[in-house]
Amino acid sequence: MRQVWVVLRREYIERVKTRGFIIATIAMPVLMIGLIGLSAFLSIQAERADRDLALVDLTGQLGEAVAAGMEAVGYDIELVDRDVGLQEMDRRVNEDEIEAYVLLDDLTLQEGTFAYRGKEAPGITRTAVFEKVVVETVLELRLSFAGSAAGLRELLTGGRLSFESLGEEQSELERVSGMATGFAGAFLLYFTMLFYGAYVLRSVLDEKRNRVVEVVVSSISPWRLMLGKILGVGSMGLTQVGIWVGCAALIGLLGVPMIAANWPAVDVGELSQLLPGPGPLGLLLVFFLLGYFLYSSLFAAVGAMCSTEEEAQQAQFPVMMLLIIPFILQMTSIEGSGLPWMDWAALFPFFSPIMMYPRAVVGAVPWWMVGTSLVLMAAALIGTAWVAGRIYRVGILMQGKRPTLRELVRWIRQA
Amino acid sequence: MTEHAVHLSGVTKSFGEHTAVSDFDLEIPRGTILGLLGPNGSGKTTTIRMIMAILLPDRGTVELLGGLPDFARRNRVGYLPEERGVYEKMKVLEQLVFLGELRGMTRQVVRRQAMEWLERLGLEEWANKKVQQLSKGMQQKVQFIGTVLHDPDLLILDEPFSGLDPINQDVLESIVREQHEKGTTILFSTHLMDQAERLCERVCLISRSRKVLDGNLKALKRRERTGAVAIDFEGDDSWLARLGITNPKRVDDTYHIEADRGIEPDRLLAAAVAERVTLRRFELMEPSLHEIFVRHAGQPDPEPALGVAGGAR
Repeated sequence: MRQVWVVLRREYIERVKTRGFIIATIAMPVLMIGLIGLSAFLSIQAERADRDLALVDLTGQLGEAVAAGMEAVGYDIELVDRDVGLQEMDRRVNEDEIEAYVLLDDLTLQEGTFAYRGKEAPGITRTAVFEKVVVETVLELRLSFAGSAAGLRELLTGGRLSFESLGEEQSELERVSGMATGFAGAFLLYFTMLFYGAYVLRSVLDEKRNRVVEVVVSSISPWRLMLGKILGVGSMGLTQVGIWVGCAALIGLLGVPMIAANWPAVDVGELSQLLPGPGPLGLLLVFFLLGYFLYSSLFAAVGAMCSTEEEAQQAQFPVMMLLIIPFILQMTSIEGSGLPWMDWAALFPFFSPIMMYPRAVVGAVPWWMVGTSLVLMAAALIGTAWVAGRIYRVGILMQGKRPTLRELVRWIRQA
Repeated sequence: MTEHAVHLSGVTKSFGEHTAVSDFDLEIPRGTILGLLGPNGSGKTTTIRMIMAILLPDRGTVELLGGLPDFARRNRVGYLPEERGVYEKMKVLEQLVFLGELRGMTRQVVRRQAMEWLERLGLEEWANKKVQQLSKGMQQKVQFIGTVLHDPDLLILDEPFSGLDPINQDVLESIVREQHEKGTTILFSTHLMDQAERLCERVCLISRSRKVLDGNLKALKRRERTGAVAIDFEGDDSWLARLGITNPKRVDDTYHIEADRGIEPDRLLAAAVAERVTLRRFELMEPSLHEIFVRHAGQPDPEPALGVAGGAR
């Protein structure tokens, strides 16, 4: 096993050291966090900078409620008496005593439209917040004439479907969270299996092309070499995904308080419930490991069969199809479930990572199906590894033409 | 310690229709240096690959260092394949460390020894350069270091000298000799007969996938003497004519009297004494390896046999 470790370490270090890896893994997320952070920071700064605002209420009915609502979300609002006059208010804006003022009039009571008078247009956040506050206030006022304001208001702002699972208990939030996690997970599985599988293929092909493999397999069995290679690339993949997940967590950590500061209306507790818990994450790891081993052993076999890049491009096509088909099927059922036969297609081991994982986290299939798919994947892995190992063993020392299917069968038999 | 470093008996290997090695027997006593000679495509590489268990024989048995060629035994072999290969993107030292560790050496030991070797071959400045920055000859040296790094009991070198300039050929030759003096058994293949003649204690000639003959080089040459004589003397060569030898072949001052003249060396010498010829040299000529080879296998094919699946190319 020490030899496997030596191969693994070489594969890992040689890969992690490359500029490409560093750029893809670290620079990109850092850049993205940086950009997101910077723009968020700037917009907050901009929003915080000039909050000296005034409110003129010509209706005499809305002013106090609106001002209270705006102050609740963090704006300094000076409620100005309507006798002050609009010329005076415009002068105050022009002479920079205040930044802008909000003007509520009869039209506001009727349609919810109101004016924001200033030199500069309000930002998106401010517009949205003010609109919300004003409309809510107007609604409340008008509904209060109609009697039971509270109930009707609920009706207007409500209209929310709440899913009631007839299976196990599952809250609405859990469902949304499951959908998001399942979708993101399927995506991540698809791309990681594709990319890291391709890395394995390239690594095998390179070793074969530069003929190092003959020296190496005189010291280590091809089977161990393949294992070490797959584990090495896999560790690199886990490192990369780990860094990304870490970055995402960092964004979350920085982002959630930011959201909380800017949109007090959003329930932060609810938001953080949207993030996947340890259960779905653990399951993702299991699906990744099984799927990655399954596909990378196929890719290793393909690499061993070929002698040139061009051959490999062609030969990997069937393996790619095995990945693309479930991905397309999954896209048609983003919400997790989909057509009933797809649940059964998800049991096919090569489709399972992409199709069964989202179903599992959403709870669209019973747990015994998830369990069965894991068992089937493990069984398929053993079979695939056996076949791939044999192809690999013969293939890495073969130069020249790519074998026909018949020759491949002979390789598998004779090895 | 068994007597033989390598023992092949009745080894046969075919690739489809083509028989690459046929009923091959070979014993390499420990500590000797054996040349596996034959034209391209005669089965040298296939034989070596079977010794290294990279290929499995269809028939016959292979014994390596006294047993089956398992990984423990193979890791006591230094193997330089015919097709040169290096990890081009790795640094020189790291590559050597990798190869050493793969064969069970510890990191520290392998680092130290690799540096020593690099210094010896004048490559120490390149230790932390990527292999692809080195010239072909230097890459070959690095690969050779990878072969001897773990102090193997047996060195198997497939065409080790091809592609090297004469200076580096000499360097390599001296290292091979040195390893031999240390007691390492050496098997190398070549199609260059003169090189084998310089280096080998034993030779094994192989042609068209069959062994032609093998054995101790000196004994072989002695056995293969034809009775030809090289003779150098003062004075004119009229006495030769009196023996019936007309137009003898001359190389510089030396006359080469072929055996087919029908005069045995004893008679020639007796005649020279009788004629009071002043001899400077009288020698029973030994055939060159090339001559022996041609005698036993016919003229080697000028073109290598093609299409050996799993063979070198």
